Formats: sequence, structure tokens, C-alpha cells
Amino acid sequence: MKSTFRSPPSAALLRSCAIAALAMVSVAAQAQSAGIAPEAKQILKASTDFLASQQRFTADTRNTLEIVLKSGQKIEFNSTGHQFVQRPDKLRSERSGDLVEQMFVYDGKSLTLYQPRDKVYAQVAAPGTLEEMLDFARNEYDVVAPFGDLLFKNAYDILMDGVTEGIVVGKAVIEGVVCDHLAFRAPDVDWQIWIQEGLQPLPRRIVITTLDLPNAPQFAVTVTRWNLEPSFDARTFTFAPQADMKQIELLPR
Amino acid sequence: MSRIRSRKALAVTMALPLLYLAGIAPDSPAGLTLLQEAHAVVGAPLTPVSAAGVARRTTRRVVVAETSATEAAAASTAATQQQQAATAQQQAATAQQQAATAEQQAATAQQQAAASRPPGAPAVGTVVTVLPTGCKPEARDGIEYQNCGGVYYRAAFQGSNLVYVVQ
Repeated sequence: MKSTFRSPPSAALLRSCAIAALAMVSVAAQAQSAGIAPEAKQILKASTDFLASQQRFTADTRNTLEIVLKSGQKIEFNSTGHQFVQRPDKLRSERSGDLVEQMFVYDGKSLTLYQPRDKVYAQVAAPGTLEEMLDFARNEYDVVAPFGDLLFKNAYDILMDGVTEGIVVGKAVIEGVVCDHLAFRAPDVDWQIWIQEGLQPLPRRIVITTLDLPNAPQFAVTVTRWNLEPSFDARTFTFAPQADMKQIELLPR
Repeated sequence: MSRIRSRKALAVTMALPLLYLAGIAPDSPAGLTLLQEAHAVVGAPLTPVSAAGVARRTTRRVVVAETSATEAAAASTAATQQQQAATAQQQAATAQQQAATAEQQAATAQQQAAASRPPGAPAVGTVVTVLPTGCKPEARDGIEYQNCGGVYYRAAFQGSNLVYVVQ
């Protein structure tokens, strides 16, 4: 450290500098672990509330999943997804990519999982609401909707569960849309979310970094298109098996 | 600083020959080797696709770990749950299945004596992500099975992954 003073400083000046320096260090330390910035909470809450208030919407997504090989090498797999949601009890989710091509259809009574390439599907009776169905699928069958947590009305509470730190990183542009970039930390997981600025605070991108796995693999979803006024028809949320499809079992967890 | 940088440069230059050693030649499907390695990651936890609910994630991973400990073939299922259905997997099928079968031979010796199953058949209930080669579909009681040299497999979803369960 070079002194910026040209002449030897007085003891009093030194002392006040030292106090100021200490204060700055402590402020910095607080910023590092000072919990969750109120503004970060507020922006996230506005977003989850806004999404919860949307009765029908579609979201086109681009998903990136990292797998860590035994050697430590990270391999990235990409897929695209199309989500169709009608609260309180309809969901259609399609995804296709390197690893898998699949479709989930929930009509309020049953959940169907269909894999077009193999022409096989499984169908199970499911609870009567979207939220119950997501929990049911996860708990009973280990079927996890990528970032399905966002579909819950209390998404904010689910996301913030266990979060110890949160900051507003700043403004960012995702898919040409200006967003607020937030970053949160919880035990074993860091996650970031980019929320559209303005009257429609929609989540535009989410990145999950898993800290308790070797090389901290990430899962990322970017919403390439939101449609808050979609037109659904009778087929959107129904699955009609064709003659060449075979029904198979969905193994209980 | 410069030492770190030169070490990084070394790592990068080392990486290319290593890739060749690992069998990823430019003219071979790289995915094949990678997936085979991924298959070998016994009990590898999955990359979570949800930020929330650490408890949920933990539960899920414990389940995976238990599966791995129980059965070799199921372990490769667990390791590749998210890797299912890559084209290369079809090619990796034979080798993987043979390995799994060999590992289970001892364990299933008694079972074979009891049932009229071919020698070396994997234990009933074994879950694999890929079928051995040369399977033929065969319907019994309206259910389609895959007859793989006398061993019958039935397709099912485990989580969102298509698997085959030894009958």
C-alpha cells in the first residue's frame, strides 16, 4: 500500500483514517453477509405475485443442463420447452433436446407422460389442482417439472426457503428485454433470476448452481417468449393415445 | 500470476491429447465415450432442476444413492437418468448390458436354478436404461414384453426416464 499523503500525516488524521477504514471494512463485510437486500425481495415478490395472478399463459424456454462426468469434465445438454398453463388445473409441457423428447399433459384428473420417439406413454390419476399435481408427481413418481416451483401461487416462499443472502446485481438484457438481475444464496445452492423490468415483471432467466456436487453443475432456463393471452383449444390439455402408442407403467418412487 | 497462467496453458494443451486417449477421436461419435463414462458414475447425483427445496433435492438424491448401492444396472440408470435416450446410448447398450449381466451372474445363480431362465440372466426387477441387442417384442396377456434371449423386459417410466425392468 502506497501512501497518498505527500507530507507525514498527523496522528489525529491517521486515527480518523483508521476509523474510516475500519468502518468501510465492516460495511463491506456486512454487504457480503448482510442477509437479503429488501429490494431483491421486493422485485422477486412482485414477479411471483404477477405470475400467480396470470390465469392462462404459455412460455417458450431454452434449457441448459450441465452434467459432471466422473473425470470432472462438464458436459452441457440443451433442450427447448413449451409450457401451456391454465390455472387452476391444466398443464401441458413439451420438451425436446439432446437427451429427451417428452410431453406431459395434465387435464385436472390425470397426468400423462408421453415419449414420442418410443411411442410409449404412462398415465396416472392425479390430484385436482396444478400445485397438488406438481407435488404429487415429485413425491410419488420422482417426476420433477424443471422449475415447476414458479407455478406455485406461493412461489416466493418456496424459492426463498433457506435463502441466506440476496442482492440486486443490476440491470441486464435477456433476449432483448431489460431485466433486474438478482442473485441469491442458500445452503448448497446459488441461484440467479432475471426479472423483466416494467409492468409485467416476468422471470426471463433462471440459473441454478448446485454447490454440493463436484464442479458445481448449473441448470439454466431462459424464457424466449411469454404469451399472457394464449388461445387454447380442447386438445391442448388432453392426451388422446393413438393406435400405435403403447401404455406402460409409471414406476412408483 | 505468470505461473498460474502458464499452468493453465499447459492444461489446455494437455487436454487435446487426453481427449484422444479417452477415445474421443474426431471421426467417432464423441457422445458415445462420454455417455459410457457417465454410465460408470455410480450413484452420481443428478443436477437439480429446481432451486428451491434443498430437502426435496436431498431426498431425491438419497433415493438415487440407495438404488445404486443395490444394483449395478440400476446404478447406471441412476447415473444416466438425465442422459437417457441419446442416440449413442443405443450403441453403448451392448457393452453396458454385458457388463451389468456379468456383475449379476453370481447374485442370480440361485434364482436361475429356481426358474427356467437363461444362464447369466439379470435378476428379476433389475432396471436398465437400454435393452441388450437382438430383443424381440412379444405380447403376453395384452402386455408387450421384450424378449432378449429368453430374458423378458418390460418398458416403464422411472421418473421421467424410459427404463426396462427385468421380469
